[in-house]
Amino acid sequence: MSAAKLERLLNLTALLLTTPRPLTAQEIRERLDAYPGDLAAFRRAFERDKDALRAMGFPLEMAEVPGREQPIDGYRIPKDRYYLRDPGLTPEELAALRLAASVVRLEGTSAREGLLKLGGLVGDADGEPGLAVAALPGGPDLGPLFGAIAAQTPVRFTYRGEQRRVDPYRLDYQRGRWYLTGFDHLRTAERLFRLDRFESRIDALTGPRFERPSTAVPGGAIEPWQLGEGQPVEALVLVDAPQAPWIAQHLGPDAVREERFDGSVVVAMAVTNRDNLRSFVLGFLDHAEVLAPPELREDVIAWVRAMARAEAGTAP
Amino acid sequence: MTDSDSVDPGGPATPGGPADPGRAGDPRPGPGAGAGPAKRTTASDRFLRLLTVVPWIAAQDGPRLEEVCERFGMTRKQLLDDLQIIPLVGLPPYTPDTLIDVTIEGDRVWLRFADVFARPLQLTPDQGLALVAAGAAWRELPGADPEGPLATALDKVAGVLGVDPGDAVSVALGDTRPGLLDSLRRAAAEHRRVRIDYYAYSRDERTTREVDPYALFADEGAWYVRGHCHMAGGERLFRIDRIYDVDVLDTRFTPPPAAATPADGEVFTPGPEVARVTLELAPSARWVIETYPVDAVDERDDGSLRVRLAVSAQPWLARLLVRLGPDARVVEADDEALLHAGADAARRVLARYEREDGDGPRPR
Repeated sequence: MSAAKLERLLNLTALLLTTPRPLTAQEIRERLDAYPGDLAAFRRAFERDKDALRAMGFPLEMAEVPGREQPIDGYRIPKDRYYLRDPGLTPEELAALRLAASVVRLEGTSAREGLLKLGGLVGDADGEPGLAVAALPGGPDLGPLFGAIAAQTPVRFTYRGEQRRVDPYRLDYQRGRWYLTGFDHLRTAERLFRLDRFESRIDALTGPRFERPSTAVPGGAIEPWQLGEGQPVEALVLVDAPQAPWIAQHLGPDAVREERFDGSVVVAMAVTNRDNLRSFVLGFLDHAEVLAPPELREDVIAWVRAMARAEAGTAP
Repeated sequence: MTDSDSVDPGGPATPGGPADPGRAGDPRPGPGAGAGPAKRTTASDRFLRLLTVVPWIAAQDGPRLEEVCERFGMTRKQLLDDLQIIPLVGLPPYTPDTLIDVTIEGDRVWLRFADVFARPLQLTPDQGLALVAAGAAWRELPGADPEGPLATALDKVAGVLGVDPGDAVSVALGDTRPGLLDSLRRAAAEHRRVRIDYYAYSRDERTTREVDPYALFADEGAWYVRGHCHMAGGERLFRIDRIYDVDVLDTRFTPPPAAATPADGEVFTPGPEVARVTLELAPSARWVIETYPVDAVDERDDGSLRVRLAVSAQPWLARLLVRLGPDARVVEADDEALLHAGADAARRVLARYEREDGDGPRPR
């Protein structure tokens, strides 16, 4: 970008920000006095400028110019969509944000540019040596989904072979993956979607703002044994001492029903997906056991019995 | 509200935790701490930077040039070049009183008549999410101060973006027990050796070992510490949720030069010395190839798979096979014992349930 073009884009932005009504291309050409004189050359240059502004995320609006006999479109940048409201961050807050963003990085996004807008780089990014680093996987849909959550506007995407129209409520990063919770108009119910299973890019739809549920949307705990419909069944699982601290930490202290003398624990789990409970418990091999209810216990026994038999017959 | 229809139920959660590579304790490098090379400034970067710097300078009373450079990550030359353009910017009719006025005196700079650029451009959704996600991740860490500057900053930024920070984005980096992550972090920072009580998932054994912790990082939903393991005599990776206890020792170590640490994004590739198995998998067991490093995949028309993968330790394979049940079959193995790993493990589990003195109902 030459200095002349930089200057022109700055003046174009200023003009479109301050105009009380949309300006036609011709009016912009006359007022700005920065475009080539030749009409065809002006049109090409103006198109490029508009594309550049839109690509950089400028809220460039096109609307009919009022009071014209022949309908004609004009351009403007609404102030309320351009100006960042000042959150009034203190230097300590800016420094804390900078530190957090330097440690937890979302791939493909620039927290730095955001920090600059909020007041610049304050404090020391390397303030805490030995600091942990976490990289979150990014994706092209994350930003637009977050934008739609904030704007409370619906999105459309293909999932499991069907086109869904969803009011997006929240994003959760769990076990290394991003999930979207929202109201699915196809199923007319709240649903959870895995972003890496989207079969299309998302379309951000315009339209009236949707209402978020008045109570907080439960996202968060997405355990595999909870991925099912219907009333949860409480399972009691005994986990041997070596892995007892892990399960207690993973499920939280409320889940621990009994701590035995040998160091083992009995934990309670609310189950809506039996296959996934079995898979989870079998991951402990013979260091864990479903105690109750009997049908879930029988399910595990039948599974391993079939396996022991089948392989006994086919072993070479 | 969760839904087996929308989320694949065959997810790979394991008692070791999620997306377990089965390889902790192996030299699998994680994302490094490097910041990466500085990006070249493009023309639109310069335009956007101007729209960000101008409002800030205009709101101050003559900040020092050096301070502006530091705060916005620019060189003095970049700033002075930009300040050459600013006086040409304003509104029609572009007379001196409608153009931005730049005054540089000594080492300080003033901007006047810059009202049109009184505020920067709004945050893009990507920028907003990057900040909110980073803040949300920190808020979840044990020991985070719910009243501290990060928490209040997050509330303010989320307010500007129009979201409720607790209700729009949550980030769970991985399970950790209070204090553990902090102790390890401090040890890594001070270059002090630690003694850890560690459960090696792939080998299914609990050991106490001394480790020189080099760096901590979170990846795929779990925290890891990378360091030199004195028991194994080499660099290893440990999942922090399997460290049950840590003692920070007085012994100091010298960390390896930064150049010796692996680069970002490198994935551990099992060497040829590690035994391989070939599995036949049902279509529903597809998550296996999305979760573990595999040498080769042969996909059939009906969606079933033939997969060759490395087995770092037998218990790891046994676990996988017992969980998959009829959805997996070992068709080839470098090591005879691996052929029977699934059935052997199933018999051990069955024996536990059929134990006379076991808990719960007795076998019929």
